[in-house]
Amino acid sequence: MARIGANEPEELLRGTLDALVLKTLSWGPRHGYAIARWIKHVSSDTLTVEDRALYLALHRLEDRGLVDGEWGLSENNRRAKYYRLTSAGRAELRADASRLARYTAALLAVLNSTRWETP
Amino acid sequence: MTARETIGRMAAWLRRGRLARQLEAELEAHVELLARDFEHEGMPRDAAMARARRQVGHSLAHREESRDYWGFPRLDAFLQDARYAVRGLARSPGFTFTAVITLGLGIGANAAMFAVIDRLMFRPLPYLRDPASVHGVYLETTYQGKARIGSTVPYTRYLDVRAVTHSFAQYAASSGWRLAVGRGEGTRVRKVAGVSASLFDFFDITPERGRFFTPAEDTTPLGAMVAVLSHACWINDFGGRDVLGQRLRVGKLDYTVIGVAREGFVGASDGGAPDLFVPITTIPPNLQPSSATDYFTNYNWDWVEILVRRKPDVSIAAADADLTRAYQWSRAKYRVVNPRVLPDSLARPRGILGSVRSANGPDPGLESRVLLWVAGVAVIVLVVACANVANLMFARILRRRREIAVRLALGVSRGRLVGQFITEGLILAGIGSVIGLVCAQSAGAAIRRMLLPESTPFNIGTDWRTIGVATACALAATLLTSLAPAVLATRADLAGALKASAREGTYRSSRLRAALLILQGTLSVVLLVGAALFVRSLRNVLAIPLGYDANPVLEVVLDLRNLENDSVAQLDTRRRMLDVARSIPGVEAVARVGGMIFSTSTTTLNVAGIDSVERLGRFNFQVTTPGYFDVMRTRILRGRAFDSRDGPGTPPSVVVSESMARALWPGKDPLGQCIQVIWNDVSRLPKWPCTMVIGVAEDALYQSITDEQRLTYYLDADQLDPAWGRTLLVRLKTSNVDAEIERVRRALQAAMPGDGFVVVRPLRELVDDQERSWRLGATLFTTFGVLALVVAGVGLYGVIAYNVLQRMHELGVRVALGAVWTDIVRLVVTQSLAMAAAGVAIGLGIALVASRWIEPLLYKQSPRDPLAYAAIGAIMLLVAIIASAVPALRAAAADPNRALRAE
Repeated sequence: MARIGANEPEELLRGTLDALVLKTLSWGPRHGYAIARWIKHVSSDTLTVEDRALYLALHRLEDRGLVDGEWGLSENNRRAKYYRLTSAGRAELRADASRLARYTAALLAVLNSTRWETP
Repeated sequence: MTARETIGRMAAWLRRGRLARQLEAELEAHVELLARDFEHEGMPRDAAMARARRQVGHSLAHREESRDYWGFPRLDAFLQDARYAVRGLARSPGFTFTAVITLGLGIGANAAMFAVIDRLMFRPLPYLRDPASVHGVYLETTYQGKARIGSTVPYTRYLDVRAVTHSFAQYAASSGWRLAVGRGEGTRVRKVAGVSASLFDFFDITPERGRFFTPAEDTTPLGAMVAVLSHACWINDFGGRDVLGQRLRVGKLDYTVIGVAREGFVGASDGGAPDLFVPITTIPPNLQPSSATDYFTNYNWDWVEILVRRKPDVSIAAADADLTRAYQWSRAKYRVVNPRVLPDSLARPRGILGSVRSANGPDPGLESRVLLWVAGVAVIVLVVACANVANLMFARILRRRREIAVRLALGVSRGRLVGQFITEGLILAGIGSVIGLVCAQSAGAAIRRMLLPESTPFNIGTDWRTIGVATACALAATLLTSLAPAVLATRADLAGALKASAREGTYRSSRLRAALLILQGTLSVVLLVGAALFVRSLRNVLAIPLGYDANPVLEVVLDLRNLENDSVAQLDTRRRMLDVARSIPGVEAVARVGGMIFSTSTTTLNVAGIDSVERLGRFNFQVTTPGYFDVMRTRILRGRAFDSRDGPGTPPSVVVSESMARALWPGKDPLGQCIQVIWNDVSRLPKWPCTMVIGVAEDALYQSITDEQRLTYYLDADQLDPAWGRTLLVRLKTSNVDAEIERVRRALQAAMPGDGFVVVRPLRELVDDQERSWRLGATLFTTFGVLALVVAGVGLYGVIAYNVLQRMHELGVRVALGAVWTDIVRLVVTQSLAMAAAGVAIGLGIALVASRWIEPLLYKQSPRDPLAYAAIGAIMLLVAIIASAVPALRAAAADPNRALRAE
């Protein structure tokens, strides 16, 4: 959907956002807000997760059986939905992590190359 | 979408309400937590909450986004749009009403025309197997340089075609007749189809009851006396009782009912459905005892239509060639017994495979051509209606510009907005098509009655082809009416619309809307010019002097059935019936005739001093009793009509038409002149050397309406052959014949001996038949033309009224600055007149070019009749003035202060 004045970060982050969310949940069940805050904190404010993209990602992951959602009480006693990593999610996280690591290494190798070599 | 995903989405879609509430709750929690963090940073509670909310954004946007993921966004969006559209349409009933009625009329016109034309031309015969391979056989010959295409042939020719062609897998012969069925008072005229037994094999059908007849029962010279009832006849005339084995009088012969056909089965019948089917080989003995022994070897009676099924591996061109060879062979066979058969080099015989429906065959009548044109007209009416609704839609969208801009700013996508407008259009067109189908039911039935006066079932409710066409029209109308305005509206300058106040910049003349108006005007003018031409053509037809007054005259056909072979009793009965008819109260004059208007006879004439009378034209004769000129009210201009001085044994006398007198004896006194009438091959008729002219009658119309010649002569039946003529003409004192017809029929029927019966109908019907196709064109073109004019007028009014409303401020300023009301009216009307004038100019131009195509459909009417063009131009401009004067006057009467203060 085209949106006036809005970037489309979820398109750019697709694939990486899922991995980030799964990684966050590997520390234990969290609600959406906690996930967003933790990613922001750990990445030293570099990675800001769009709220709506986060919830869409959570629903997507829940639907694929990678996370389980359950309603509980938040720190200030509000109803909030806590997401927990399933075993399938754990496997997915491992696969994602290694895939992203390979991808990043390859990307950096290209970006950091210092001279032209004919193949 | 995988199956699993589909199921998941279906489940999600079903519980989407709960999912939405859950997401709402999740977001609520998110906002709360975020706000708490802001509070920790030292913000006051309220500010923290506000900031958190802003950051999370409008929850509606989230919901819409999530909806894409849950379930079926399109269906969901459509249902939502539909609800939204219905609410919106209900809020502006004026717009909705106009749009729905306009579209309904447009769609209805098309559905009605399609229903009529489909039944007349395209619909395959019911139950026909593989209709694409089944053809009617048409034969073309050229006579005196004119090609003539016919579909009725002698039975012998059917046998010839069957014998020598090899392109066809199946052959059938068929012929339709109106015959008396039953005995005594219960006798009714019914449609009887004489068909070959092979016809039933063309269809995927078994009989409802009993069986069909077999080839063994359909043999020359006389087939088995068996009959199959149509389903409708079985129900209506026999109450659906067990009729198998029952004896049934059909025409002169008795048949045994052996079966009942399926509902809707009509055989190869093109027009009305037959009531019963009998072997075609029982028809000649029944109808023409004189040809009962030679109808399958002779070629002098064209009465059979041929149906063939092409073999799958034979092309139509190859089959045509095969048929042509067979026709040549058949003609050569006939030439042996009749040397007058023209050689192929002159006659250029040709076989043509055509539609089973003659209206779609190689030689369609005037009516089908007119109907196809009217179908085109209906499409134009729909286009005008669409242009009108598009214009209304556009005005409506312009009014909602700010709303649209706000929604765009809130993040609703353009695609979704366009979808909403299209949904609105779809709903309008949907309601319109329902209204259209209701209109089409009665309009189609009315057109059908104009074509076929006999009542034939016409039900659009179960006619899926017509409903399909109406649906297609509705979809096309939806796209035409809503797509362009929607796209234009969403493309409009967003910021401008948001900033604009209610007044600022709102009056802008739109080129698109003007173009739509001009288009409507143009098309209306084209249709109206067509209508004017057809109306003037009809007026020319109606102005043709008939030379008689058929209105109060009844045609009475005497069927003497059992007296066929008793000429003395026959003669006596005919004389007596004439007296009986004369004695019926309310009858003014009676006569017995041998021929009938529009179905005339001719024979060879010799006139002293003229080499070849034939070269002067076709001379038709009418054999009649003395009362004829009183019955028809044909005036005798010179001399006298037949009277008591004529009769058996008196010197032969003849009355000739004025044209005939002029053609044969130019400049001379026709009275006392001689003609010699040669009765070829009819030995019982007298061979008079001279039949003397005793009177000159005014010209009367006996051939088709388009025929210029009026060459007619009248002979006295009592002199020539007292047995001649089995038709009575009865002139009533009142013109209201419909009320009298049954009384006359009863009186005459009571006097008929034995199985004899009478068939009575108004003579006027014959004249109506002739005028029908002209009337059809004029009526339908005028109806649709006026429809288009009304739609265009309403459209113009709507647009001008809207513009005036938008210009109220400007007009108020003008009034405040001293403009008087005439200035205001002139301003508004001029604007509308300019558009109308453009439409008139373009429309008349198109009509001028296009009208030559309809020239062949007009009677003595130039397609460039300046009067018609001028009148239509004037009418269009007048409508434009009226449509704009009303809102203009309202604007002029408004208080300028209010308009100016309304800021």
